[in-house]
Amino acid sequence: MKLDLHNVTKCFGATRALDALSLRIPAARVMVLIGPSGGGKSTLLRVLGGLEVPEQGTVTLNEHRLTGDPRALQAYRRRNGFVFQQFNLFPHLNARRNITLPLEKVHGHPPETARSLADQSLERFGLLDHADKLPSQLSGGQQQRVGIARAIAFSPEVLFLDEPTSALDPEMTAEVLELIQELAEAGQDIILSTHEMGFARAVADEVAFVCSGKIEESGAPQTLFGAPVSPVCQRFFSRVMRY
Amino acid sequence: MANAVAAVLLAAVFAGFCTLVLSGLDRPVDWSRAWAYRESLWRGWTTTLGLSLAALLGSIVFGLAFLMGQRSTLPVVRWTCRGFLEFVRDTPLLVHLLFGYFVIFAPLLSRPLAGLGWDDKVIIGIVLLSVFSGAYLGEILRGGVESIPATQWDAARAVGFGPWQVWRHVIFPQALRRVLPAIAGLFVSLIKDSSLLNVIGVSEYFYNTKNFISRSYAGLEGYLPLAAGYLVLTLPVAWLAHWLERRFRDET
Repeated sequence: MKLDLHNVTKCFGATRALDALSLRIPAARVMVLIGPSGGGKSTLLRVLGGLEVPEQGTVTLNEHRLTGDPRALQAYRRRNGFVFQQFNLFPHLNARRNITLPLEKVHGHPPETARSLADQSLERFGLLDHADKLPSQLSGGQQQRVGIARAIAFSPEVLFLDEPTSALDPEMTAEVLELIQELAEAGQDIILSTHEMGFARAVADEVAFVCSGKIEESGAPQTLFGAPVSPVCQRFFSRVMRY
Repeated sequence: MANAVAAVLLAAVFAGFCTLVLSGLDRPVDWSRAWAYRESLWRGWTTTLGLSLAALLGSIVFGLAFLMGQRSTLPVVRWTCRGFLEFVRDTPLLVHLLFGYFVIFAPLLSRPLAGLGWDDKVIIGIVLLSVFSGAYLGEILRGGVESIPATQWDAARAVGFGPWQVWRHVIFPQALRRVLPAIAGLFVSLIKDSSLLNVIGVSEYFYNTKNFISRSYAGLEGYLPLAAGYLVLTLPVAWLAHWLERRFRDET
């Protein structure tokens, strides 16, 4: 995928979540956003995913230039998948229905096709036995895997994951990270934010360090993790790598 | 054991109370009086049933309108809606009925409605009752919708649902489950409140029973069927609500 952000600003009240942020990635399969909490990773991801409209600046993902037009944004969201930190499954629907409902209502698949697509992705993630359970009956890791299954069931152009493991314990984190890595190896274009530095290094081919609403530094993982130039970046790494 | 004792005691107290009341009556209970008025009472009961159902549907329409009005993007619409709801909820239904019928709607609508061959009292009564109930329903629904976390809106938009689909498939089903008991309570109240329409002369169940009692000097023979007639309407609603509540509780 190809990514071009120019002067993007997004405010929430008085806070500038994104402050004239610019970033150009000519080609990447998996791009990872890292950086301190509250630095703007989530906002950036939500802008890229078409969930927020920036006040200023231009965003272009592949050949899609994002606008504020609600219909165009909805069409854009239909092409991509989004996975949330808090899973955000629909609690009144069972795991399978969480996947088939968008397939039917958004992508216009007939119920039988939707069901077989849903079962394929549940099977792929080892969740077929849990297809009839409600989200509240699943563990956090299982819920997040259903969340990912829902986001990729219609083969999205780009898959966005906003800190997909931050609400999970280490074991569940591992099971979700394995799955994301598997998707990356299968050729899925991915943009994700995470605090798992080891994972970022292993899976990314582009890493961007987001801090104070700006891109502090970006580049290939070997360069960024191995020899960061920015002092903010160096300080961050020396702190998170200490333990 | 303690439960059985309590049951016996309560039954005894209730029986004693009933005997006391019945022995206090100055004349014997005579059901033939009620029987003589059976047609009028039956007509009244079916009217109550009909206008309750109509007002129930009407209150859903008004309730949804008030919900949408309060969530409007235009501040003026929101404020107007809030003000109107506050006014409706903080004044007695009796006042709405008297003022709404005699001052506002009867002068405007009585002739045209009569021209169509419709009973203006029933139609206007249903509208006034719908507005009153709709105001409460609008608030209940608003509470339900606001209790759904923002992340659900995000998730619904993220999977690509359009604005209407977000409501239809994600927000409304969840909100409705949460407020179902409150809605059932409101509908039970609505059925009971329909008896107030007697003040504008709608010949519903209460009105016809009152007529029967004042003409035949009946007492118990009028009031007992009156209470039973309303219970027949309200109990199924209450049971349905409990059943639905139990069904949905397992799901969340």
